[in-house]
Amino acid sequence: MIATNKMLSIKNLKAEIEGKKILNGINLEVKAGEVHAIMGPNGAGKSTLSAVLAGRADYDVTEGSVTLDGKDLLDMSAEDRAREGVFLAFQYPIEIPGVSTTNFLKTAVNEKRKYQGLEPMEATDFLKLMRQKMEFVEMDKSLTSRSLNEGFSGGEKKRNEIFQMAMLEPKLSILDETDSGLDIDALRLVSEGVNKLRSKDNAYIVITHYQRLLDYIVPDFVHVLYKGRIVKSGDASLAKELELKGYDWIKAEVEASM
Amino acid sequence: MKLEENIKTEFHQYKNQAEENAFFQMREKAFAEFDKNGFPTIKNEEWKYTNLKSIFDKNFKSTCVSSANVKNLLVDSVFNSIKANKLVFVNGSFNPELSNIIEKDNAIVISNLAKARKENTNVFDAHFGKYAKIENESLNAMNMALMSDGAFVYVPSNKKVENPIIIMNVVDSTDINVLSQPRNLIVIEKNAEACIVESYISAGTNASFINVVNEIYVDENAHLEHYKIQQQTGESYQNNYTQIFQEANTNINQVTLTLDGTMVRNNLHFYMNGKNCDTLLYGLYITEGSNHVDNHTRVDHAMPNCHSNELYKGIMKDKSTAVFNGKIMVHLDAQKTNAYQRNQNILLDPEATINTKPQLEIFADDVKCTHGATVGQLDEEPMFYLRSRGIPEDVARKMLLNAFADDIAEKIKIPELVGLLEQLIEEKL
Repeated sequence: MIATNKMLSIKNLKAEIEGKKILNGINLEVKAGEVHAIMGPNGAGKSTLSAVLAGRADYDVTEGSVTLDGKDLLDMSAEDRAREGVFLAFQYPIEIPGVSTTNFLKTAVNEKRKYQGLEPMEATDFLKLMRQKMEFVEMDKSLTSRSLNEGFSGGEKKRNEIFQMAMLEPKLSILDETDSGLDIDALRLVSEGVNKLRSKDNAYIVITHYQRLLDYIVPDFVHVLYKGRIVKSGDASLAKELELKGYDWIKAEVEASM
Repeated sequence: MKLEENIKTEFHQYKNQAEENAFFQMREKAFAEFDKNGFPTIKNEEWKYTNLKSIFDKNFKSTCVSSANVKNLLVDSVFNSIKANKLVFVNGSFNPELSNIIEKDNAIVISNLAKARKENTNVFDAHFGKYAKIENESLNAMNMALMSDGAFVYVPSNKKVENPIIIMNVVDSTDINVLSQPRNLIVIEKNAEACIVESYISAGTNASFINVVNEIYVDENAHLEHYKIQQQTGESYQNNYTQIFQEANTNINQVTLTLDGTMVRNNLHFYMNGKNCDTLLYGLYITEGSNHVDNHTRVDHAMPNCHSNELYKGIMKDKSTAVFNGKIMVHLDAQKTNAYQRNQNILLDPEATINTKPQLEIFADDVKCTHGATVGQLDEEPMFYLRSRGIPEDVARKMLLNAFADDIAEKIKIPELVGLLEQLIEEKL
């Protein structure tokens, strides 16, 4: 692996919604093979960062740049970002009645292949791939014939996100509070799924409020987001420190330096 | 008012050669009612958003002539491959050659009204003209006065009709502007079961006006699946009145799909005359161009412990317009009623219009009722979810619109027909 292999590069990213400034100059570099955890108190801008990266239209980017393998990500539509390899695992996956999980994934996989200049997948190959990837997160087969997330439990919805991630094989996955609302068994399943997908070629941004998830998905770097800025970075031990001491000491440090 | 004159002329011609019997007296009474009130105008609250003027100024005439196109049209229809009993009516006249009854049990009558009036006199006399009122319903009166023929279905107690019954109405305007007035009578006795489909298609390039009346009687513990599939093309006008009369413990699933037609007005009425009825009514209308669809539904909860659930969905394109007017009437005695009603609309173009009016009138005090209507574009959240997985906007939009529409089509319990209808819907969207 080449040390300078920057996959994602965020420079001085500022974003707002309805005139309210949420991100106030984020700088972050993520290389292939790395896992970055982003932690921070409520309202720090964690979910805004994931939404801006995934291309949600509600946010206005006022300054800064984001590149993925050198390409300007901010200039792309949400679907192009996905086809370039960005994947957002939603904090609250939405239910879409009438769209079956299978049909949805077939469309998504084949749209990505089309973008890459490949033929659509044969139906039998697709079903084989689905079966294989479902085992990753121990997804029940019956769930794929149902409408997307409709009537799924909280844990099933999050597992479905990781299952989709496994199917689409993204370069960069952003897990937005994937641990929220999960019991310990579901958390273990989801984390194991992610760990199996980790490789030297892909990278992860794990957004979480709690250290608990990071016991399972061990990060290379931990960043603390506060008031729309990364105010502290460290290794996995920083997460442990936050678990013990909370966020107040960081807030105090930031206020003192301003 | 050409049509009114034509109706009067036709009735006088009929009167001159009619036999003086009870049937004739019913028709004469109906004609008098029509003559008194004339056609409804937009001053009538029930017709506020549906202006029939363009129909009444046209020179529509009844005819029993049918062209050679009809046979091909039937072969091309979604019903061609469906295993079912088929009754074909062309311009309101029964066509035995194109019809096909496959039901084996001879006690079940699947026939036409003109024949049933002579051969099934007891059932006919007990039910004909008993449910669809003519007072202040000019179009019903006009149908009663001059109706041609129609389907007659009689399912005796404890019998189950094994195959669906498809009533195929073809309006053929190859030669002239056609007026067609079929009338269907369906009687399902105690513990009996049937699945009945009404289909409407057109042939020919002149204008057509079909004025249909359905009377449906469902006796205790019976189960009825009833579907209406409207696909008339060309300059086609349809007024479709359906009165379903339910006795205790009956179970009805009704689906109305309006996929085409210049102007379609549906009047769908349920009257629950006994306890523990369960009624589901679903509708889907997809409009385009300058087409107009009006669904007026009314559910009368007259007795206690009944349940009704209504969901109507619309997708409107171009300059098309639609009307939804759903009334739930909970009578004084109808305690423990559960009645729900929703109307959801997606407007795809800035000039498309929907007038929606969910109505509840409750006279009992121990009931659970809800109603509501939504009008809008496709939701942003599901759109973003699909796009965030790499699905382009136009594909995502189609997926969501299809899902919205298929939700209603899937209430039809003939799987092979649902598949074909969903394909049709996909092509339309």
